[in-house]
Amino acid sequence: MNRKFLLAIALVTVLILVVACAAPTAAPTSAPPTKAAAPTAAPAMSALDKLYEEAKKEAALSTIALPDDWLNYGEVKAAFLKKYPGIKHNDLDPQAGSQDEINAVKANKDNKGPQAPDVVDVGFAFAPTLKDEKLCTPYKVATWDSIPNDLKDPDGCWYGDYYGVFSFAVNKAIVKNVPQDWADLLKPEYKSMVAMAGDPLSSNQAQQSVYAAALANGGSLTDPAPGLDFFSKLQKAGNLVPVIGDQSKLAKGETPILITWDYLALGYKDILKGNPDIEVVVPKTGVFGGVYIQAISAYSPRPNAAKLWMEFLYSDEGQLLWLKGYGHPIRYNDLVKRNVIPADLAKKLPPAELYAKAVFPTGAQVSAARKFVGDNWEKTVGVKIAK
Amino acid sequence: MTSTTGTARRMSWEWLGVVPFFLYALLFLIIPASFLVIGSFQNADGSFTLGNFIGLFDETVRNSYALSLQISLFTALAGGIVGFLMAYAAIAGGLPRFVRSFLLTFSGVASNFSGVPLASAYISTLGRQGMATILLRLAGIDIYSMGFNLYGIIGLSLAYLYFQMPLMVLIVAPAIDGLKKEWRDASQNLGASNWQYWRYVALPVLLPSLLGTMILLFGNSLGAYATAFALVSGTFPLATILIGRQIRGEVLQNPNLGYAVAVGMVVIMSVSIMVYSWLQRKTERWLR
Repeated sequence: MNRKFLLAIALVTVLILVVACAAPTAAPTSAPPTKAAAPTAAPAMSALDKLYEEAKKEAALSTIALPDDWLNYGEVKAAFLKKYPGIKHNDLDPQAGSQDEINAVKANKDNKGPQAPDVVDVGFAFAPTLKDEKLCTPYKVATWDSIPNDLKDPDGCWYGDYYGVFSFAVNKAIVKNVPQDWADLLKPEYKSMVAMAGDPLSSNQAQQSVYAAALANGGSLTDPAPGLDFFSKLQKAGNLVPVIGDQSKLAKGETPILITWDYLALGYKDILKGNPDIEVVVPKTGVFGGVYIQAISAYSPRPNAAKLWMEFLYSDEGQLLWLKGYGHPIRYNDLVKRNVIPADLAKKLPPAELYAKAVFPTGAQVSAARKFVGDNWEKTVGVKIAK
Repeated sequence: MTSTTGTARRMSWEWLGVVPFFLYALLFLIIPASFLVIGSFQNADGSFTLGNFIGLFDETVRNSYALSLQISLFTALAGGIVGFLMAYAAIAGGLPRFVRSFLLTFSGVASNFSGVPLASAYISTLGRQGMATILLRLAGIDIYSMGFNLYGIIGLSLAYLYFQMPLMVLIVAPAIDGLKKEWRDASQNLGASNWQYWRYVALPVLLPSLLGTMILLFGNSLGAYATAFALVSGTFPLATILIGRQIRGEVLQNPNLGYAVAVGMVVIMSVSIMVYSWLQRKTERWLR
């Protein structure tokens, strides 16, 4: 009797645990809000004034999926409404993801009310969706020419809004000699110190860091294989800690070198306030950009308000507000060239020259690389059973 | 149907007491398990396929199963043996009475300590900057330079043993209590050596419980997910981690293969239980 009971428990335990694998584990982290100096104002243009007059007739703007603590959007939204008091803001579902935004655009196709989003801010991978399914209204902002060509649709359907690059967040209390490039991570002094920000087979961020390592090791946007070789070497050298690195493990020194997006790393540095001191290093080679894009919905009931919002975001003022949230705005190189970034903000950021080297994959390249890493990570880097 | 003499059969109210149990079993075990089995025979479009089961023979899946089996066997055996010895020492050994109650209480707590909290505790204690690691380093012993690594098979096994050994203690304790002192006296009176006592008396009596508990430990470890995910997710593809990646990851996304891997684990468990039952019948025959 006792025995049958044990057997039943054993079987049930396995079943329950196996079923539980499907449950989600951790919540994602996001960049913290920050304080900084007032940005420079965009020059007033008569065309812009005219646009505002038109937008005032529509009287409202519906945005979607813009959390206040994501890339300083709280301040971006507040500054826009202060500048254009004639517009009322509908802040739809701030915690939604990119796919939710696309779904909301489609679902509200015939809805002229506040629930229909006028603009969307989605991951780069959704660019083909916007274009192919004709979900966007082409519009070129005044600063169109200073947006890099490979980060905008030639017709103005969508254009990049901000990006992050992979960086090393380094706990300086543990690591005296801060690594400056991907190759440095292989040095014996960093034994059991380097961690990724996720499981490369579960998390997009971790998977894309493999892509970034490829760029630094003779690979290209179409050849992510050297990235796997790099992580395999890192694993064999005993430098890769297979635990998922995060802010607390970085601070405790358990994973004193964390490969993560620069905006997250800079956020950790602010939150930890010098205890311990974190240095954020953008590697000298393999500067890989993860881009988000902005577009006006094809079904926008308030197209002029949407255009006004776009003009604001792509003005120096709007771009600098994103930069305060540590997201590099798409016109960052232009801002640097024209020297309009306030000194105290520039001081907090990694050197601008490195960002000038950033490369950006297309959506198709991202999906191909994801499949490649998915198929090969375990064979190359994963632990194999001892024969 | 049995004929009744006029009085209608009365529904017993006692059934009401077990409704919550059946409800939970249905909602959290039976229905999800059925989806699992059905999903494992479907492709992404929902039509029938055997492809997922063919996928189980892929190198990465085989490697995952092998890793899972290896760590489960090891922690079931090690946890079982050490746990049994601990329980035997505390109960049948000549130790003071308080040791027994202390051990059993602690085991009750520790056997339920698993998942992310357990992983965090291990990281804080035995991680590179863990308390024990640093104390040992101060004493001149650097366990990491001696080859210890929390984030590998040794670390993971240690973490599993933290709940495996106490579980063994808890479950075999009643069986050890059942060993009558008179049996040892009797065998000694008849001239049996200590070895003979264990070989012909104690072990045969204990064997069914020992084996049964070890199977339980095996299953416990085979199905563990959160501890492993929190400790070694990047490079240590246990079968459960593989399932998680396929079902809820952002990269692989083939839930149906994940279901098939899960069904495979249920099959492994069923087979080990059948082997157990067979062993059981062999060892128990004479006891009747």
